[in-house]
Amino acid sequence: MWGVIKSVLAAFFGVQKERQRRHDFEHGKPGAFILVGLLMAVVFVVVIAALAIYVAG
Amino acid sequence: MRKMLALMTGGGTLFGGASLAHANGWNMPVGVTDLSAEIYTLHMTIFWICVVIGIVVFGVMFYSLFKFRRSKGAKSAHFHENTTVEVIWTAVPLLILVGMAVPATATLQKMYDASDAELDVMITGQQWRWRYEYLGEDVAFNSNMSTPRAQITGEEERGEHYLLEVDEPLVLPINRKVRFLLTADDVIHSWWVPDFAVKQDTIPGFINENWVRINEPGIYRGQCAELCGMDHGFMPIVVHAMEEDEFDQWLVERKEAAEAEAMGVDREWEMDELMERGEQVYGSICASCHQADGGGSPPAFPGLAGNQELIDDVDWHIDVVLNGVSGTAMPAFRSNLNPVELAAVVTYSRNAWGNDTGDAVQPAEIVELLE
Ligand code: HEC
Ligand SMILES: [Cu+2]
Repeated sequence: MWGVIKSVLAAFFGVQKERQRRHDFEHGKPGAFILVGLLMAVVFVVVIAALAIYVAG
Repeated sequence: MRKMLALMTGGGTLFGGASLAHANGWNMPVGVTDLSAEIYTLHMTIFWICVVIGIVVFGVMFYSLFKFRRSKGAKSAHFHENTTVEVIWTAVPLLILVGMAVPATATLQKMYDASDAELDVMITGQQWRWRYEYLGEDVAFNSNMSTPRAQITGEEERGEHYLLEVDEPLVLPINRKVRFLLTADDVIHSWWVPDFAVKQDTIPGFINENWVRINEPGIYRGQCAELCGMDHGFMPIVVHAMEEDEFDQWLVERKEAAEAEAMGVDREWEMDELMERGEQVYGSICASCHQADGGGSPPAFPGLAGNQELIDDVDWHIDVVLNGVSGTAMPAFRSNLNPVELAAVVTYSRNAWGNDTGDAVQPAEIVELLE
Protein backbone atom coordinates (compact mmCIF):
# COMPACT_ATOMS: atom_id res chain seq x y z
CA MET A 1 0.00 0.00 0.00
CA TRP A 2 2.72 2.49 0.98
CA GLY A 3 4.49 1.55 -2.25
CA VAL A 4 1.41 2.44 -4.28
CA ILE A 5 1.08 5.82 -2.51
CA LYS A 6 4.73 6.56 -3.12
CA SER A 7 4.36 5.74 -6.81
CA VAL A 8 1.26 7.93 -7.14
CA LEU A 9 3.11 10.79 -5.40
CA ALA A 10 5.98 10.31 -7.84
CA ALA A 11 3.48 10.48 -10.70
CA PHE A 12 2.00 13.73 -9.29
CA PHE A 13 5.49 15.20 -9.14
CA GLY A 14 6.32 13.82 -12.57
CA VAL A 15 9.57 11.98 -11.76
CA GLN A 16 9.93 8.23 -11.08
CA LYS A 17 12.86 5.84 -10.69
CA GLU A 18 13.11 3.43 -13.61
CA ARG A 19 13.56 0.46 -11.24
CA GLN A 20 10.38 1.31 -9.34
CA ARG A 21 8.42 1.88 -12.55
CA ARG A 22 9.37 -1.53 -13.87
CA HIS A 23 8.46 -3.11 -10.53
CA ASP A 24 5.03 -1.42 -10.53
CA PHE A 25 4.27 -2.50 -14.07
CA GLU A 26 5.29 -6.10 -13.45
CA HIS A 27 3.79 -6.71 -9.99
CA GLY A 28 1.20 -3.96 -9.29
CA LYS A 29 -2.55 -4.12 -9.97
CA PRO A 30 -3.85 -1.26 -12.20
CA GLY A 31 -7.01 -0.90 -10.10
CA ALA A 32 -5.03 -0.08 -6.97
CA PHE A 33 -3.13 2.75 -8.72
CA ILE A 34 -6.29 4.20 -10.26
CA LEU A 35 -8.16 4.14 -6.94
CA VAL A 36 -5.30 5.65 -4.93
CA GLY A 37 -4.70 8.18 -7.71
CA LEU A 38 -8.32 9.37 -7.62
CA LEU A 39 -8.39 9.54 -3.82
CA MET A 40 -5.18 11.51 -3.65
CA ALA A 41 -6.40 13.89 -6.34
CA VAL A 42 -9.41 14.63 -4.12
CA VAL A 43 -7.14 15.07 -1.09
CA PHE A 44 -4.92 17.45 -3.11
CA VAL A 45 -7.87 19.62 -4.15
CA VAL A 46 -9.23 19.73 -0.59
CA VAL A 47 -5.82 20.71 0.82
CA ILE A 48 -5.38 23.51 -1.75
CA ALA A 49 -8.92 24.77 -1.13
CA ALA A 50 -8.42 24.69 2.64
CA LEU A 51 -5.13 26.55 2.29
CA ALA A 52 -6.74 29.21 0.07
CA ILE A 53 -9.65 29.66 2.48
CA TYR A 54 -7.28 29.85 5.46
CA VAL A 55 -5.01 32.44 3.79
CA ALA A 56 -7.91 34.54 2.46
CA GLY A 57 -9.34 34.32 6.02
CA MET B 1 18.57 43.39 -3.59
CA ARG B 2 16.89 46.73 -2.71
CA LYS B 3 19.24 48.53 -4.99
CA MET B 4 18.67 46.04 -7.74
CA LEU B 5 14.90 46.37 -7.46
CA ALA B 6 15.18 50.16 -7.59
CA LEU B 7 17.40 49.88 -10.63
CA MET B 8 15.05 47.48 -12.30
CA THR B 9 11.91 49.52 -11.76
CA GLY B 10 13.80 52.74 -12.48
CA GLY B 11 14.80 51.36 -15.83
CA GLY B 12 11.16 50.73 -16.44
CA THR B 13 10.02 54.27 -15.64
CA LEU B 14 12.23 55.50 -18.43
CA PHE B 15 9.77 53.98 -20.85
CA GLY B 16 6.76 53.71 -18.58
CA GLY B 17 6.25 57.46 -18.16
CA ALA B 18 4.70 57.78 -21.58
CA SER B 19 0.92 57.96 -21.38
CA LEU B 20 -1.61 56.53 -23.77
CA ALA B 21 -1.76 59.94 -25.45
CA HIS B 22 1.70 59.49 -26.88
CA ALA B 23 1.38 55.78 -27.31
CA ASN B 24 5.00 55.19 -28.23
CA GLY B 25 5.83 54.00 -24.71
CA TRP B 26 7.40 50.59 -24.42
CA ASN B 27 6.00 49.61 -21.09
CA MET B 28 2.89 49.85 -18.94
CA PRO B 29 2.71 53.08 -16.93
CA VAL B 30 3.48 53.20 -13.20
CA GLY B 31 0.20 55.00 -12.86
CA VAL B 32 -1.22 57.23 -10.16
CA THR B 33 -2.65 54.80 -7.61
CA ASP B 34 -0.87 52.65 -5.01
CA LEU B 35 -2.29 49.59 -6.68
CA SER B 36 -1.13 50.55 -10.16
CA ALA B 37 2.39 51.08 -8.80
CA GLU B 38 2.20 47.68 -7.12
CA ILE B 39 1.07 46.02 -10.33
CA TYR B 40 3.87 47.76 -12.17
CA THR B 41 6.47 46.53 -9.68
CA LEU B 42 5.05 43.03 -9.90
CA HIS B 43 5.21 43.21 -13.68
CA MET B 44 8.83 44.37 -13.63
CA THR B 45 9.86 41.81 -11.01
CA ILE B 46 8.45 38.95 -13.03
CA PHE B 47 9.90 40.40 -16.20
CA TRP B 48 13.39 40.43 -14.67
CA ILE B 49 12.97 36.92 -13.26
CA CYS B 50 12.23 35.80 -16.82
CA VAL B 51 15.24 37.71 -18.14
CA VAL B 52 17.55 36.06 -15.59
CA ILE B 53 16.17 32.60 -16.35
CA GLY B 54 16.60 33.26 -20.07
CA ILE B 55 20.19 34.40 -19.63
CA VAL B 56 21.10 31.42 -17.43
CA VAL B 57 19.45 28.80 -19.63
CA PHE B 58 20.68 30.14 -22.95
CA GLY B 59 24.07 31.00 -21.41
CA VAL B 60 24.62 27.40 -20.32
CA MET B 61 23.34 26.11 -23.63
CA PHE B 62 25.52 28.30 -25.84
CA TYR B 63 28.54 27.83 -23.59
CA SER B 64 28.15 24.06 -23.83
CA LEU B 65 27.63 24.15 -27.58
CA PHE B 66 30.77 26.14 -27.98
CA LYS B 67 33.01 24.57 -25.39
CA PHE B 68 32.17 20.93 -26.09
CA ARG B 69 31.97 21.05 -29.86
CA ARG B 70 32.89 17.98 -31.82
CA SER B 71 35.72 19.62 -33.73
CA LYS B 72 37.49 19.95 -30.36
CA GLY B 73 37.10 16.20 -29.84
CA ALA B 74 34.26 16.30 -27.31
CA LYS B 75 32.52 12.96 -26.78
CA SER B 76 28.86 12.81 -25.78
CA ALA B 77 28.07 11.06 -22.50
CA HIS B 78 25.61 8.18 -22.86
CA PHE B 79 23.46 7.82 -19.79
CA HIS B 80 19.82 7.15 -19.18
CA GLU B 81 17.82 8.46 -16.23
CA ASN B 82 19.22 10.59 -13.45
CA THR B 83 16.57 10.96 -10.78
CA THR B 84 18.44 13.65 -8.86
CA VAL B 85 18.70 15.92 -11.88
CA GLU B 86 15.08 15.28 -12.80
CA VAL B 87 13.94 16.17 -9.29
CA ILE B 88 15.96 19.39 -9.40
CA TRP B 89 14.64 20.53 -12.75
CA THR B 90 11.11 19.86 -11.60
CA ALA B 91 11.43 21.45 -8.18
CA VAL B 92 13.21 24.65 -9.22
CA PRO B 93 10.50 25.87 -11.66
CA LEU B 94 7.87 24.86 -9.11
CA LEU B 95 9.50 27.05 -6.47
CA ILE B 96 9.92 29.94 -8.91
CA LEU B 97 6.26 29.75 -9.93
CA VAL B 98 5.04 29.61 -6.33
CA GLY B 99 7.41 32.48 -5.52
CA MET B 100 5.72 34.58 -8.23
CA ALA B 101 2.21 33.43 -7.37
CA VAL B 102 2.37 34.57 -3.74
CA PRO B 103 2.85 38.34 -4.36
CA ALA B 104 0.63 38.18 -7.47
CA THR B 105 -2.23 36.67 -5.49
CA ALA B 106 -1.81 39.22 -2.70
CA THR B 107 -2.15 42.05 -5.26
CA LEU B 108 -5.09 40.37 -6.94
CA GLN B 109 -6.89 40.19 -3.60
CA LYS B 110 -6.46 43.93 -3.12
CA MET B 111 -7.76 44.58 -6.62
CA TYR B 112 -10.94 42.67 -5.86
CA ASP B 113 -11.59 44.37 -2.53
CA ALA B 114 -14.03 47.12 -3.50
CA SER B 115 -15.48 47.39 0.02
CA ASP B 116 -15.62 50.60 2.09
CA ALA B 117 -15.84 52.91 -0.90
CA GLU B 118 -16.67 56.56 -0.25
CA LEU B 119 -18.19 57.17 -3.68
CA ASP B 120 -20.04 54.86 -6.07
CA VAL B 121 -19.98 55.58 -9.79
CA MET B 122 -22.02 53.54 -12.23
CA ILE B 123 -20.32 53.25 -15.61
CA THR B 124 -22.39 52.14 -18.59
CA GLY B 125 -20.93 51.35 -21.99
CA GLN B 126 -23.08 52.23 -24.99
CA GLN B 127 -22.45 52.22 -28.70
CA TRP B 128 -20.41 54.47 -28.65
CA ARG B 129 -20.07 56.52 -25.54
CA TRP B 130 -19.80 56.13 -21.78
CA ARG B 131 -22.47 57.09 -19.30
CA TYR B 132 -21.48 58.05 -15.76
CA GLU B 133 -23.88 58.07 -12.84
CA TYR B 134 -22.91 59.24 -9.34
CA LEU B 135 -25.08 56.90 -7.33
CA GLY B 136 -27.16 58.56 -4.65
CA GLU B 137 -26.17 62.02 -5.89
CA ASP B 138 -28.64 62.53 -8.75
CA VAL B 139 -25.81 63.41 -11.07
CA ALA B 140 -25.49 61.58 -14.38
CA PHE B 141 -24.20 62.43 -17.83
CA ASN B 142 -22.97 61.00 -21.11
CA SER B 143 -19.38 61.34 -22.18
CA ASN B 144 -18.88 61.51 -25.94
CA MET B 145 -15.73 61.76 -28.00
CA SER B 146 -15.16 65.37 -29.01
CA THR B 147 -12.59 64.91 -31.74
CA PRO B 148 -14.07 66.56 -34.86
CA ARG B 149 -14.92 64.28 -37.80
CA ALA B 150 -12.77 66.44 -40.05
CA GLN B 151 -9.68 65.33 -38.13
CA ILE B 152 -10.62 61.70 -38.59
CA THR B 153 -11.22 62.05 -42.32
CA GLY B 154 -7.95 63.91 -42.67
CA GLU B 155 -9.39 67.25 -43.76
CA GLU B 156 -8.00 68.87 -40.63
CA GLU B 157 -4.74 68.62 -38.70
CA ARG B 158 -4.92 66.13 -35.83
CA GLY B 159 -5.11 67.71 -32.37
CA GLU B 160 -2.90 66.85 -29.40
CA HIS B 161 -5.43 64.45 -27.88
CA TYR B 162 -6.71 63.01 -31.13
CA LEU B 163 -9.38 60.35 -30.37
CA LEU B 164 -8.64 60.69 -26.63
CA GLU B 165 -10.81 63.71 -25.81
CA VAL B 166 -14.43 63.95 -24.67
CA ASP B 167 -17.11 66.61 -24.21
CA GLU B 168 -17.59 65.79 -20.51
CA PRO B 169 -14.93 63.93 -18.55
CA LEU B 170 -15.61 61.73 -15.57
CA VAL B 171 -14.72 63.82 -12.51
CA LEU B 172 -13.28 62.05 -9.46
CA PRO B 173 -11.74 63.15 -6.17
CA ILE B 174 -8.21 62.17 -5.20
CA ASN B 175 -7.44 60.35 -1.93
CA ARG B 176 -10.90 58.75 -1.77
CA LYS B 177 -11.80 55.20 -2.54
CA VAL B 178 -14.14 55.25 -5.52
CA ARG B 179 -16.06 52.13 -6.44
CA PHE B 180 -17.06 51.55 -10.05
CA LEU B 181 -20.12 49.50 -10.96
CA LEU B 182 -19.73 48.63 -14.60
CA THR B 183 -22.32 47.43 -17.09
CA ALA B 184 -23.38 47.94 -20.71
CA ASP B 185 -26.61 48.61 -22.60
CA ASP B 186 -25.94 46.87 -25.89
CA VAL B 187 -22.76 44.85 -26.41
CA ILE B 188 -19.65 44.11 -24.36
CA HIS B 189 -17.35 47.10 -23.87
CA SER B 190 -14.34 47.45 -21.61
CA TRP B 191 -13.48 50.45 -19.48
CA TRP B 192 -9.72 50.87 -19.55
CA VAL B 193 -7.57 53.59 -17.98
CA PRO B 194 -3.91 52.53 -17.94
CA ASP B 195 -2.86 55.06 -15.29
CA PHE B 196 -5.30 53.41 -12.83
CA ALA B 197 -4.37 49.87 -13.90
CA VAL B 198 -8.10 49.34 -14.33
CA LYS B 199 -9.43 47.44 -17.31
CA GLN B 200 -12.86 46.00 -16.68
CA ASP B 201 -15.30 44.45 -19.13
CA THR B 202 -18.77 45.98 -19.11
CA ILE B 203 -21.35 43.33 -19.97
CA PRO B 204 -25.07 43.78 -20.67
CA GLY B 205 -27.10 42.23 -17.83
CA PHE B 206 -24.13 41.99 -15.47
CA ILE B 207 -22.59 44.44 -13.03
CA ASN B 208 -18.84 44.21 -12.51
CA GLU B 209 -16.98 45.94 -9.72
CA ASN B 210 -13.68 47.73 -9.62
CA TRP B 211 -12.20 50.60 -7.67
CA VAL B 212 -9.54 53.32 -7.56
CA ARG B 213 -7.94 55.63 -5.08
CA ILE B 214 -6.11 58.26 -7.09
CA ASN B 215 -3.03 59.88 -5.57
CA GLU B 216 -2.44 62.80 -7.90
CA PRO B 217 -4.78 65.32 -9.48
CA GLY B 218 -4.66 65.35 -13.24
CA ILE B 219 -6.27 64.31 -16.51
CA TYR B 220 -6.09 60.62 -17.29
CA ARG B 221 -7.08 59.08 -20.57
CA GLY B 222 -8.17 55.68 -21.72
CA GLN B 223 -10.18 53.83 -24.34
CA CYS B 224 -12.76 51.12 -24.79
CA ALA B 225 -10.73 47.91 -24.86
CA GLU B 226 -13.31 45.53 -26.26
CA LEU B 227 -14.07 45.48 -29.98
CA CYS B 228 -17.66 46.73 -29.81
CA GLY B 229 -18.68 47.70 -33.34
CA MET B 230 -18.11 50.34 -35.97
CA ASP B 231 -17.05 53.22 -33.71
CA HIS B 232 -15.19 51.14 -31.14
CA GLY B 233 -12.15 53.38 -31.56
CA PHE B 234 -14.27 56.47 -30.95
CA MET B 235 -15.42 56.01 -27.36
CA PRO B 236 -12.49 57.29 -25.31
CA ILE B 237 -12.41 57.80 -21.56
CA VAL B 238 -11.17 60.96 -19.89
CA VAL B 239 -10.97 61.23 -16.11
CA HIS B 240 -10.42 64.56 -14.40
CA ALA B 241 -9.05 63.88 -10.91
CA MET B 242 -9.50 66.84 -8.57
CA GLU B 243 -8.53 67.84 -5.07
CA GLU B 244 -11.21 66.71 -2.64
CA ASP B 245 -12.76 70.12 -1.84
CA GLU B 246 -12.70 71.06 -5.49
CA PHE B 247 -14.56 67.85 -6.28
CA ASP B 248 -17.16 68.43 -3.57
CA GLN B 249 -17.81 71.85 -5.00
CA TRP B 250 -18.13 70.43 -8.51
CA LEU B 251 -20.61 67.83 -7.29
CA VAL B 252 -22.75 70.44 -5.55
CA GLU B 253 -22.80 72.55 -8.70
CA ARG B 254 -23.81 69.57 -10.82
CA LYS B 255 -26.54 68.65 -8.35
CA GLU B 256 -27.93 72.16 -8.44
CA ALA B 257 -27.87 72.13 -12.23
CA ALA B 258 -29.69 68.79 -12.25
CA GLU B 259 -32.30 70.16 -9.86
CA ALA B 260 -32.78 73.28 -11.95
CA GLU B 261 -33.29 71.08 -14.98
CA ALA B 262 -35.80 68.91 -13.13
CA MET B 263 -37.71 72.07 -12.21
CA GLY B 264 -37.58 73.10 -15.85
CA VAL B 265 -39.94 70.28 -16.66
CA ASP B 266 -42.89 72.18 -15.19
CA ARG B 267 -42.49 75.43 -17.03
CA GLU B 268 -43.19 76.47 -20.58
CA TRP B 269 -39.99 76.63 -22.65
CA GLU B 270 -39.29 79.26 -25.30
CA MET B 271 -38.48 78.13 -28.81
CA ASP B 272 -34.96 79.63 -28.64
CA GLU B 273 -34.13 77.81 -25.43
CA LEU B 274 -35.32 74.49 -26.81
CA MET B 275 -33.42 75.00 -30.05
CA GLU B 276 -30.19 75.88 -28.24
CA ARG B 277 -30.42 72.92 -25.90
CA GLY B 278 -31.53 70.64 -28.72
CA GLU B 279 -28.60 71.52 -30.92
CA GLN B 280 -26.27 70.61 -28.06
CA VAL B 281 -27.95 67.25 -27.47
CA TYR B 282 -28.20 66.51 -31.17
CA GLY B 283 -24.51 67.26 -31.70
CA SER B 284 -23.31 65.02 -28.90
CA ILE B 285 -25.73 62.09 -29.30
CA CYS B 286 -27.48 61.95 -32.67
CA ALA B 287 -24.97 63.46 -35.08
CA SER B 288 -22.75 60.37 -35.04
CA CYS B 289 -25.46 58.52 -37.00
CA HIS B 290 -27.71 61.21 -38.51
CA GLN B 291 -24.88 63.70 -39.20
CA ALA B 292 -24.63 67.28 -37.95
CA ASP B 293 -26.42 68.61 -41.07
CA GLY B 294 -29.31 66.17 -40.57
CA GLY B 295 -28.49 64.49 -43.84
CA GLY B 296 -27.87 61.04 -42.33
CA SER B 297 -26.05 58.41 -44.37
CA PRO B 298 -28.82 56.60 -46.24
CA PRO B 299 -29.73 53.85 -46.50
CA ALA B 300 -28.22 52.83 -43.12
CA PHE B 301 -29.07 56.04 -41.26
CA PRO B 302 -32.04 58.02 -42.62
CA GLY B 303 -31.71 61.76 -42.99
CA LEU B 304 -33.87 63.90 -40.72
CA ALA B 305 -33.55 67.07 -42.79
CA GLY B 306 -36.50 67.39 -45.16
CA ASN B 307 -37.85 64.03 -43.94
CA GLN B 308 -41.54 64.30 -44.88
CA GLU B 309 -42.73 61.53 -42.59
CA LEU B 310 -41.10 63.28 -39.66
CA ILE B 311 -42.40 66.70 -40.62
CA ASP B 312 -45.96 65.40 -40.96
CA ASP B 313 -46.20 63.32 -37.81
CA VAL B 314 -44.95 64.78 -34.54
CA ASP B 315 -46.33 61.90 -32.43
CA TRP B 316 -44.49 59.32 -34.47
CA HIS B 317 -41.33 61.43 -34.31
CA ILE B 318 -41.47 61.59 -30.51
CA ASP B 319 -42.25 57.88 -30.29
CA VAL B 320 -39.20 56.94 -32.38
CA VAL B 321 -36.87 59.02 -30.21
CA LEU B 322 -38.34 57.75 -26.93
CA ASN B 323 -38.61 54.09 -27.82
CA GLY B 324 -36.15 53.57 -30.65
CA VAL B 325 -36.84 51.27 -33.58
CA SER B 326 -36.33 47.69 -32.48
CA GLY B 327 -34.19 45.57 -34.74
CA THR B 328 -32.32 48.63 -36.03
CA ALA B 329 -29.44 50.75 -34.77
CA MET B 330 -31.84 53.46 -33.60
CA PRO B 331 -31.64 53.31 -29.77
CA ALA B 332 -34.41 54.14 -27.30
CA PHE B 333 -33.51 57.37 -25.52
CA ARG B 334 -36.27 57.41 -22.86
CA SER B 335 -33.93 56.50 -20.02
CA ASN B 336 -30.69 57.98 -21.37
CA LEU B 337 -31.89 61.54 -21.81
CA ASN B 338 -34.03 63.57 -19.43
CA PRO B 339 -37.40 65.07 -20.47
CA VAL B 340 -35.88 68.47 -21.18
CA GLU B 341 -33.22 66.97 -23.41
CA LEU B 342 -35.78 64.80 -25.19
CA ALA B 343 -38.15 67.70 -25.82
CA ALA B 344 -35.28 69.91 -26.96
CA VAL B 345 -33.79 67.41 -29.39
CA VAL B 346 -37.18 66.68 -30.98
CA THR B 347 -37.94 70.40 -31.27
CA TYR B 348 -34.52 70.96 -32.77
CA SER B 349 -34.93 68.26 -35.43
CA ARG B 350 -38.38 69.60 -36.32
CA ASN B 351 -37.09 73.11 -36.96
CA ALA B 352 -33.43 72.89 -37.98
CA TRP B 353 -32.11 72.34 -41.51
CA GLY B 354 -35.16 73.94 -43.10
CA ASN B 355 -37.68 71.59 -41.51
CA ASP B 356 -39.32 74.73 -40.09
CA THR B 357 -42.45 73.11 -38.68
CA GLY B 358 -42.64 75.72 -35.93
CA ASP B 359 -43.47 72.98 -33.39
CA ALA B 360 -42.08 73.52 -29.90
CA VAL B 361 -42.38 70.24 -27.99
CA GLN B 362 -42.58 70.97 -24.26
CA PRO B 363 -40.76 68.88 -21.61
CA ALA B 364 -44.11 68.50 -19.81
CA GLU B 365 -45.55 66.63 -22.82
CA ILE B 366 -42.62 64.23 -22.72
CA VAL B 367 -43.05 63.65 -18.98
CA GLU B 368 -46.65 62.62 -19.64
CA LEU B 369 -45.57 60.17 -22.34
CA LEU B 370 -42.89 58.69 -20.10
CA GLU B 371 -45.35 57.79 -17.38
C1 HEC C 1 -26.53 54.42 -33.42
C2 HEC C 1 -27.06 55.21 -34.46
C3 HEC C 1 -28.19 56.19 -34.16
C4 HEC C 1 -28.22 57.18 -33.22
C5 HEC C 1 -27.15 57.55 -32.21
C6 HEC C 1 -29.47 57.85 -33.39
N1 HEC C 1 -30.19 57.27 -34.39
FE1 HEC C 1 -32.02 57.84 -35.06
N2 HEC C 1 -32.04 56.30 -36.33
C7 HEC C 1 -31.03 55.39 -36.54
C8 HEC C 1 -31.46 54.41 -37.52
C9 HEC C 1 -30.64 53.23 -38.03
C10 HEC C 1 -32.75 54.76 -37.92
C11 HEC C 1 -33.64 54.06 -38.91
C12 HEC C 1 -34.53 53.08 -38.18
C13 HEC C 1 -35.43 52.34 -39.15
O1 HEC C 1 -34.87 51.62 -39.96
O2 HEC C 1 -36.64 52.52 -39.05
C14 HEC C 1 -33.08 55.95 -37.16
C15 HEC C 1 -34.31 56.63 -37.27
C16 HEC C 1 -34.58 57.81 -36.64
C17 HEC C 1 -35.78 58.56 -36.84
C18 HEC C 1 -36.90 58.18 -37.80
C19 HEC C 1 -36.50 58.65 -39.17
C20 HEC C 1 -37.05 57.78 -40.26
O3 HEC C 1 -37.24 58.30 -41.36
O4 HEC C 1 -37.22 56.57 -40.04
C21 HEC C 1 -35.71 59.66 -36.05
C22 HEC C 1 -36.74 60.78 -35.93
C23 HEC C 1 -34.46 59.59 -35.34
N3 HEC C 1 -33.81 58.45 -35.73
C24 HEC C 1 -34.05 60.53 -34.43
C25 HEC C 1 -32.89 60.40 -33.68
C26 HEC C 1 -32.51 61.31 -32.63
C27 HEC C 1 -33.29 62.53 -32.21
C28 HEC C 1 -31.35 60.85 -32.13
C29 HEC C 1 -30.54 61.45 -30.97
C30 HEC C 1 -31.23 61.62 -29.72
C31 HEC C 1 -30.98 59.67 -32.86
N4 HEC C 1 -31.96 59.42 -33.80
C32 HEC C 1 -29.85 58.94 -32.63
C33 HEC C 1 -29.81 55.39 -35.90
C34 HEC C 1 -29.45 56.25 -34.88
CU1 LIG D 1 -16.95 49.88 -26.63
